[in-house]
Amino acid sequence: MKTEGVRKPRIDFWALMFCLIIIISIISIFSGPISNPEWWVLLKLRMPRVVLALLSGSALAVSGCILQSILRNDLATPYTLGISAGAGLVAGVVIISGLMVPAIVLISAGTAGAMVAVACVYAISVFSRHGRSASAILLAGVTMNLIGAALLLMFEYFSSASRLIEIVRWMMGDLSVIGWSKPLFLLPAVLAGILVAGFRTGILNQIAQGEDIAASRGVAVKREINILLVAAALLAGASVGVIGPVGFVGLIVPHIMRRYTGSDYRYLLPASAIGGMILVLFADLVSRLVISPAELPIGIVMSLLGGPFFLFLLIKRN
Amino acid sequence: MHALKMKIDSVGYGEKTVLTGIELSVARGEICGFIGPNGSGKSTLLKAILDIGVNVTGSVYLNGILSSEMTDRQRARIVSYLPQNFNPSSELTVMETVLLGRHPYHRGWEPDSPEDIEIALACMRETEVSDLRERIFSELSGGEKKLVLLASALAQEPDLLLLDEPGSSLDFKHQLHLWTLLRRLSDRGISILVSTHEVAVGGKYLDSVLVIADGGCRAQGKPEEVFVPEILNEVFDVNLNITRDSVTGSWIILPGDTV
Repeated sequence: MKTEGVRKPRIDFWALMFCLIIIISIISIFSGPISNPEWWVLLKLRMPRVVLALLSGSALAVSGCILQSILRNDLATPYTLGISAGAGLVAGVVIISGLMVPAIVLISAGTAGAMVAVACVYAISVFSRHGRSASAILLAGVTMNLIGAALLLMFEYFSSASRLIEIVRWMMGDLSVIGWSKPLFLLPAVLAGILVAGFRTGILNQIAQGEDIAASRGVAVKREINILLVAAALLAGASVGVIGPVGFVGLIVPHIMRRYTGSDYRYLLPASAIGGMILVLFADLVSRLVISPAELPIGIVMSLLGGPFFLFLLIKRN
Repeated sequence: MHALKMKIDSVGYGEKTVLTGIELSVARGEICGFIGPNGSGKSTLLKAILDIGVNVTGSVYLNGILSSEMTDRQRARIVSYLPQNFNPSSELTVMETVLLGRHPYHRGWEPDSPEDIEIALACMRETEVSDLRERIFSELSGGEKKLVLLASALAQEPDLLLLDEPGSSLDFKHQLHLWTLLRRLSDRGISILVSTHEVAVGGKYLDSVLVIADGGCRAQGKPEEVFVPEILNEVFDVNLNITRDSVTGSWIILPGDTV
């Protein structure tokens, strides 16, 4: 065999993944309590919810995939860059302020908060002693996360009980929608981010080899890393803004997919996008069914389902 | 025509200047060695040729074309580079790693062509890593990693190959293989610039030597012109016993006392 050593996934892998998405989507649309008028529930509640799960799942997973390449660290996630802290802080402040704002404003605020956090982390790393290196970005991001979380805790401490519950609930993640405004808000950000990254999978491969090697092969390393960071922040920031800082899709999905596609980003990135869709879709389905007609927050379900599964894979590998 | 002709006025990082006033021409199929003490700027000079991560003033001509007027892609099809710094924990297989050398010939999202595969297989045979092709890169030994990255640098089909201490983690056998491989490549018309501390082992295979010390070029010429105590003792700050085996042409360079 000439292609020994090339772990390109076969066509039946992709077919299986697509079948899973379609099957879980259909189950999700048609399960749960239904009220009159039936078409309204399906069209305005269930279908937009499924679309939201698909969009945010792929966005978070692709964002994690990008960061794992440019930071050359398998533990990097969208949250490593302070994205959840930024989004959480801004959204938390909006909730605490008590202003009755439309959902779309809260979403935009969360997204903007995430983008600002990433910009800060990047700026700090540029001016750090180490220069803009992967370790400087990681250190700045982890610290920003702690500071953001502490500020949010402080605001929570001084806010009233009802507001506090609202924030805590938001931090647990929420995919519920009425109408199509949330998925339509997310769609352009996700499309833009995934297209930008999708055309750069070869570059992600090169950057993962080391910046000197990438540069010697014609990659404009600095510029490409900046573009990819913006794409990762946009994908994760918009998702977190819409559904809240949900679990660790960005960490575990690329990890699990590496087992099936290898580490070539040309295949890992699309596989992660699809894997993220499946994970969020499935976690949402479980969160709606497990104590039906009430709902468990998706953040809890995701961590309880994904965490042990991930640990199982870790143990099995060794 | 020269594969490389350069005149570097100064090169450094940020405000700090590392080297000044270096002139060098490398003919087709020539192997030129950079030698000098640790931290003298051998790696910096290699980076200056590629214009990566350094501030450089001066001119570099590759195959007679001014390098600064080429696109990064065009340059990557002429020059390839084996750096000292790379990601040792890459989870790609050896085959996949070597195929990445084909990057300058790809655009956007593109699968590997049958031609890419053929070239990668040939390059792995060249550096004798074919047997490793299904192994994961991060699990290889330091020496094997170097040979795999050398194969991927060859997959770029370069006219000029820049190697930054390629033999530093190789055992005797692999060092010898490496140097005879470099000779073979140069016989096929590839020009090679190699920074090295293996002055004795490599000396036999070098066509020319550039000695770097104290922020500039200390000496330049054929090995027999440069490998003399007057030059090397001062550069390396050690009293060296230098002899040449008249039968094999190998150099024997042994350190005595510090000066």
